[in-house]
Amino acid sequence: MSETLNQPTSTPVQLSARHLTRHFTTRIPGRFMKAKHVVRAVDDVSLDLVAGHVTAVVGESGSGKSVLARMLARIVKPTSGELDLEGTPIAVGARRTLDYASKVQLVLQDPFASNNPVHHVRHSLERALLLHGATKGTVDELARAALTRVSLEPPDRFLDSYPHELSGGQLQRVSIARALCVRPSVLLADEPISMLDVSVRLGVLNLLKGLCDNEQLALLYITHDIASARYLADETIVMYAGQIVERSISTALVDEPTHPYTQLLIASVPNPADPTSQAREKAEHTTFAVADVGCRFAPRCPYAMDVCRTSDPPDFTVGEGHTSRCWLHASEPEAVSEVAPPERRREGETTKT
Amino acid sequence: MSAERLEAPPLVDERSRSDSLVSPLPARSDFVLDVSNFSVVYGTGEHMVRAVNDISFTLRRSAVLGVAGESGSGKSTLVYAMTRLLRAPGLISGGVVNLNTTRSGDAGEETVNLVTASEKELRKIRWSHVSIVLQSALSALNPVLRVGRDFDEVLKTHRPDMTRAQRRERAAELVSSVGLNEDRLDRFPHELSGGQRQRIMIALALALDPELVIMDEPTTALDVVTQREIMNELQDLRARFDFAMIFITHDLSLLVEIADEIVVMYAGSIVERARANELYEAPRHPYTLGLLNSFPPMHGQRRELTGIPGSPPDLADLPTGCKFHSRCPYAMTRCRDEEPPLTSLGDSERSVACWLHVGGPGVSVPVELSRDATTKDRAHANGERP
Repeated sequence: MSETLNQPTSTPVQLSARHLTRHFTTRIPGRFMKAKHVVRAVDDVSLDLVAGHVTAVVGESGSGKSVLARMLARIVKPTSGELDLEGTPIAVGARRTLDYASKVQLVLQDPFASNNPVHHVRHSLERALLLHGATKGTVDELARAALTRVSLEPPDRFLDSYPHELSGGQLQRVSIARALCVRPSVLLADEPISMLDVSVRLGVLNLLKGLCDNEQLALLYITHDIASARYLADETIVMYAGQIVERSISTALVDEPTHPYTQLLIASVPNPADPTSQAREKAEHTTFAVADVGCRFAPRCPYAMDVCRTSDPPDFTVGEGHTSRCWLHASEPEAVSEVAPPERRREGETTKT
Repeated sequence: MSAERLEAPPLVDERSRSDSLVSPLPARSDFVLDVSNFSVVYGTGEHMVRAVNDISFTLRRSAVLGVAGESGSGKSTLVYAMTRLLRAPGLISGGVVNLNTTRSGDAGEETVNLVTASEKELRKIRWSHVSIVLQSALSALNPVLRVGRDFDEVLKTHRPDMTRAQRRERAAELVSSVGLNEDRLDRFPHELSGGQRQRIMIALALALDPELVIMDEPTTALDVVTQREIMNELQDLRARFDFAMIFITHDLSLLVEIADEIVVMYAGSIVERARANELYEAPRHPYTLGLLNSFPPMHGQRRELTGIPGSPPDLADLPTGCKFHSRCPYAMTRCRDEEPPLTSLGDSERSVACWLHVGGPGVSVPVELSRDATTKDRAHANGERP
């Protein structure tokens, strides 16, 4: 905290990522050792995680959101880009230090896979605490405190349980307790509720929100469920094919999406209150149609223009703190002459294609 | 949502609709599946777990029944047991499952009790009368066979008179009906995306034109955009092939869209049963209300939602009385001691198992559980609930 001299004290940026990029090289099947194919899993992503704020990253599977979380946790090394923890630049190419790990913690999707099935909850918690410098005499106390923080009370009931004895929601709380027991300033939650039962999801979301508000934790919430992002997050970032396509205040993003991909995402959410608003994207799209040149969403975009197929759009500012990576929002008149920008969707309205 | 949905006849008109068919037999019953007092247990003796408890429902022809519930509520066990796919230690402990196997051209009427049917009878019924689409298409398709072989084998077994070319033609027809290219038949499952695999599963399920297709969480593993495509595809297919469907999912908002009627299961029992829009607009059981409130709304003011406190029950150690009472905000003394029966409310279309509604004159029903389904106020359309 002491290094963040330039930051106003009200919103100290805990973790800041600049131009994070990760490319994976794969071999093209059948052409042994010759042709290589580069998958641009995350391309030039910048974001700030602010204490007490929730930032959501929304995207379909394969959009690179989990790779982004793993890069921020420094489990995956970025191809290029910079990381700043509490104002201190981090050597991203180097091995992750214990100090970094104690500041930035990751919670994974499946609590049954991320908790060792042959050990007690006590073991998982105490091992993390001991690694991060707690003494034998204090671990028990700290482990109890950690479970109490995630509302697993009384802690004694849970400390000596095995993962299979707990329900999914309880086990995910254990995962969160394990991440929090080393007092991190940044928590990265990679789809923390998608494996949980519907009735306990909100409990975990409210827990995360409470931790954020009360303990000034900076939270990155990764999800494919845009409704939960709207519920939990202050800012929402939409990713498509490794790029940020739209970012804004969560409510503004969902209520008035400006990027065609965001509009498609929102229209796809089951909404029984308003069954007319459903998108009907027809025909077989390869799940992941990504253009090599131009806008990556162009092959699936109902508004695609010539310019979209030739050049990659930059971020256009469409509102306060609201950017959209789409040529439809270019201010130059020739770029938008062919198709009018999609009307900002009001609730209940249909996006007609 | 779609034109097909709007054209689908409402449940109440089913009977008159089947009567008007060109069928020479007016007495022909309009149900495809009739389940009564069906129970399933796992294990025996003192370790016995009651997974499905005394369930009864009737599925009409061409109708969609949605089964909602969390993991452990017995929804998958119910359909596996009903179709006799359940393996030991699962055991059907009672009940009757009558499947109407009468085809539209058949004379007379034929029903089979699946619970007592022999393996030989079951082999005839499976796939040609009842088919099933499983959640994980990757583990349901054989990884070492091209998907075309799956189609070929089904048709070869059930339609031995078809030639190889006819089988191939039928397979091509099926995959194109789910919006895939014919060349997908020559691919291996790993070469297809999750959505494409699930479409293949749906096409396979329709291969023999069954009257009933069971969908066990077909879209749970998929993205929201792909899920939307599959759901649209299903609506189109139902309009074309006119099959009845049992759709299982934990996503109640998805069910409201596709199902005509929904049963909500909790700890192995049906706690509420209603037409889809009535269930959504006017839930009667506190659990249903809690489930509906567990989905953050897409519109309106951001407010704190609470979901349902506690965790889903352990079937091996169920509470006494109403199984939901420990998580229920409206629980009364009676709920702890006596289990409420599933009772119909007024009309026969809806029933609920809750003492609030059948408790007699001394019990007042909270306003959020007695809402009128017909008044669709604005706050409601915004996803807001009191």
